[in-house]
Amino acid sequence: MLRNSFPRISKRQFSRLSSLRATNATSKEPTKRSQNENRHFPLSEAQAAYLDRVVRVDQAGELGADYIYAGQYFVLSSKYPHLKPVLQHMWDQEIHHHKTFNSLQVKKRVRPSLFTPIWKLGAFVMGAGTAVISPQAAMACTEAVETVIGRHYNQQLRCLTNQFDLKKANGSVSVPPEVNSLTETIRQFRDEELEHLETAIEHDSKKAVPYMLLTEGIKGICKAAVWTAERI
Amino acid sequence: MLNRSLKLSKRMYHANASDFLKPTTLGSLVYGKDSMQYKVLSHAMDVSVPIYGFNERAIVHSLNVLKLPSSMLSVISSSNPPSFLHSSPALMELIKFHLVDKRYKTVAGIDPEAADEELPSLESLLLKRLKLNAPIASRLSQVLSQLAIPGPFLLNNALPELHRLSDDLLYFSNEKDHTDFAWYSKRLAISCTYVSSELFMSQDKSADFSQTFEFAQEKLHRVMKLGEYYNNTEEFTWYTMLSAVNLAKSQLARG
Ligand SMILES: [Fe+2]
Ligand SMILES: [Fe+2]
Repeated sequence: MLRNSFPRISKRQFSRLSSLRATNATSKEPTKRSQNENRHFPLSEAQAAYLDRVVRVDQAGELGADYIYAGQYFVLSSKYPHLKPVLQHMWDQEIHHHKTFNSLQVKKRVRPSLFTPIWKLGAFVMGAGTAVISPQAAMACTEAVETVIGRHYNQQLRCLTNQFDLKKANGSVSVPPEVNSLTETIRQFRDEELEHLETAIEHDSKKAVPYMLLTEGIKGICKAAVWTAERI
Repeated sequence: MLNRSLKLSKRMYHANASDFLKPTTLGSLVYGKDSMQYKVLSHAMDVSVPIYGFNERAIVHSLNVLKLPSSMLSVISSSNPPSFLHSSPALMELIKFHLVDKRYKTVAGIDPEAADEELPSLESLLLKRLKLNAPIASRLSQVLSQLAIPGPFLLNNALPELHRLSDDLLYFSNEKDHTDFAWYSKRLAISCTYVSSELFMSQDKSADFSQTFEFAQEKLHRVMKLGEYYNNTEEFTWYTMLSAVNLAKSQLARG
């Protein structure tokens, strides 16, 4: 579906300027031509817009995760020393996720979510707030967040693997290397998020009181945040 | 409103240039550098506009000099809908061309992957862009007044192009880019600097526009400092909040 909407055609169907628009895209030099043969046709507008969203929402999500763990660590590390290494390990992974998407955002020239100050504040309050209730509540928060994020990453992986077969100038069809590497990154992060989910359950997230209220509430907040960060 | 603001973000994801074929069009224009439109409009910008100003006569003059039929005028204007507020769709295209082409010329030949020391400073790029206006400086007020008319042209072309200019100036300079709200405030600051410098330039009578460049440097310096103020504010709020949580914790622990 993303494949079918090519940039200009979707806007104006009538190709009236084709002769005027003709260019020497395939250059005169033979070396340049053979180089061009191996290149992909540009991403469609829809595909570029999709990648734009992916980078923005994942950056915002990892920013949130980073700050949630910061909040949990801030409250729990001194009181519950046995949780310290567990939290530290997950937090370190989130920092790595966050940094990865930060550099993608700058390199791919994607605008960050407009609400970054709010994401920072909200995530920190969510992490610290649940941790103040109890360590179990903090783990329930992790469980809820990672459930939503895991599902969200799976959805992206499905789209990235289905919708990005692009034609090359030499006629062959393949996925551009940068889309492949983005897919690999997201796959690795998804696996790590699911590890966090398991860690949370191992640390009695299900014993949190009030479990349902916490997890369902946080899931709802996360979904709303994802929706917003994709767009704004 | 949301749709409108989305236009600003359209096509912002930049794929690796080396993996893809070059697009056949230049930026948001519907033609590339080898097209007839490009030839006519760049001739108009270089030769005719300094004589006739920004109007249809300038384009017609270029068509005559290049020995092209005057019917080309309607080809050139074809990507713009007629508008009550603007005089002519061909003029709109000329202005669009002026914005897009000069933006590309400002950063042409710069490799953004190069080390920071080899990249130009933000200030030098801003001045370079302003210098490109020099041949048409006396006509700048015409462009500015056209660009200021509220309507679809402003929202779909003028503002996005201004944003892209700030974005390019940042991306191709050694200025640090941001991953949070500062991304917006910095671009906004650069856009404001650019527009006010252009306004200044349209009135500037000094030799070689030295006053304009002085104005631009000073203004840029001032707004970038403001950006610092913003970041400091955010950090301070953050610190305040951490202390607040600590306080809440100690209150709760006491029961
Ligand atoms: Fe993560
Ligand atoms: Fe996580």
